[in-house]
Amino acid sequence: MNTVIIKNIFRSTTTLCMRSQKSINTAAACIVKRDFHTTKPTQDLMEFFDAKKNWPETNIRVGRAWKLDELRLKSNTDLHKLWYVLLKERNMLYTMEHECNERVRLFPNPERIDKVEESMNNIESVIRERNIAYYKLETGETGERPVKDVINLIGMPEKYQPSEYDTPKFMNTRWVRPYLKHGFINSLAVKKFRRLYNEKIHSEVRKAHNRDFNHVQHLLKRFPNLDMDTLKAEYPNVDIEKAKRTKKSRGHFMPTY
Amino acid sequence: MRIYGYLAKKVGDLTIKYSNFPESYVKKSYEQVYWKTPAGYPQYKKAQVARKKYRFTTNRPWTGQFRQQNEPGTLRKKVFLEPIRDWTFFRGDRVEVMVGKDKGKQGIVSQVIQERNWVIVEGLNTHLRVVGKDKNFPGITIQSEAPLLVTSDVKLVDPESLKATDVEWRYTEEGDKVRVSLASSRIIPIPKTAEETIDYKSKELYIDNIEKDTTADAATKITFAPKLRTFEMDIMEEMGIKEDRVPAKSYWY
Repeated sequence: MNTVIIKNIFRSTTTLCMRSQKSINTAAACIVKRDFHTTKPTQDLMEFFDAKKNWPETNIRVGRAWKLDELRLKSNTDLHKLWYVLLKERNMLYTMEHECNERVRLFPNPERIDKVEESMNNIESVIRERNIAYYKLETGETGERPVKDVINLIGMPEKYQPSEYDTPKFMNTRWVRPYLKHGFINSLAVKKFRRLYNEKIHSEVRKAHNRDFNHVQHLLKRFPNLDMDTLKAEYPNVDIEKAKRTKKSRGHFMPTY
Repeated sequence: MRIYGYLAKKVGDLTIKYSNFPESYVKKSYEQVYWKTPAGYPQYKKAQVARKKYRFTTNRPWTGQFRQQNEPGTLRKKVFLEPIRDWTFFRGDRVEVMVGKDKGKQGIVSQVIQERNWVIVEGLNTHLRVVGKDKNFPGITIQSEAPLLVTSDVKLVDPESLKATDVEWRYTEEGDKVRVSLASSRIIPIPKTAEETIDYKSKELYIDNIEKDTTADAATKITFAPKLRTFEMDIMEEMGIKEDRVPAKSYWY
């Protein structure tokens, strides 16, 4: 009898021990995680503001934004952490900018916002790059949201991004196709709109062409040692031989070309 | 292209490098946008009404003087710029002046203004200017340099003969792009001063902002290890998030 009880006690102690071992393990994991956790212990609204000693500063100089090549060296966890560091910094900058405007003061170094945004964009593109690589390897597709080239209801070419639905297309009676089937325009109004719109675009292109031609003529008139290859590269749509023959392009010098 | 075409590539890349600002900030600081399609209305075509013609001078695009010179309503005569394929003049270069009262003299380039094909040579091509003239004070006369056109007014100096020479960009056997003097075929190295910006003289001399900047060691440390996982899968594993639910079938159209 006694032995059974003792056995039971032992069993329970061992389980207790195991439990405690587990709890120790989890506690250790927590500690390890806390080591990586870099947020400041003060978690109040003042985290939206800059450090107090920076408030009267007129010039807060910081380094440049993170480049793509630097971010490519970093692990996913690091990128994830860096994203939140940048997000907090951006929130802080927006708050400080707003506060400076409220108090009619100059916000020091507003280019910091652009630097943070550039870094965040770069992080996004690096992550996208990695995900695309994974999906291409595993499924042969990019895994990005699909994009279709369609003609929209007013006859303009558009990039259509399909959305996700729980019912298939033929069952979904509430869905209305927001683009033309096969790109075929059969509405008079759309046809008229396209005609006028094309005319507008055509006249804009023509004007740009005339403007460039005129500009080249003036350049030929002004600069006797003009490099023709550079000119051709800069204005590929202009007929330079024709421009050279015009009266407008004749300068007060003997041309070398 | 038609909407933003006239705003594209007006400020030279050397100017942006010198300013040490992100390109988007420089653009924002000199642009005069009068009206823009409001954000959050995808049904409207993106358009903006903005000033098209800016006069670039020795005042840098992000400064107040630039804004003052390009005040709304001011229109100045068009400036014709000779197109240049590869820019060859950098801050700190030794150049010879080919025109004006300092013709034949050599000096150091102190400023490059790419928007106008200009360089300013230290102490050359100067005029006198009276500064601070008042009713009671006659003012101080100072020498100020006038800009010189890189296409015709200055030439780089050949390092061997110390005479003005034409220059060409070529590649070395290692694949580096270098400037080569056509007179002696010697390489003209790009001076250290060329990397000077508003904030620092050279990259090594930049002083870190201890609170805000990431240290160079931390920035260049390689922590990436290739894994067969997407970003989301990796983060979920790292944080101990388990997801066993199978998503319902969905259709994309």
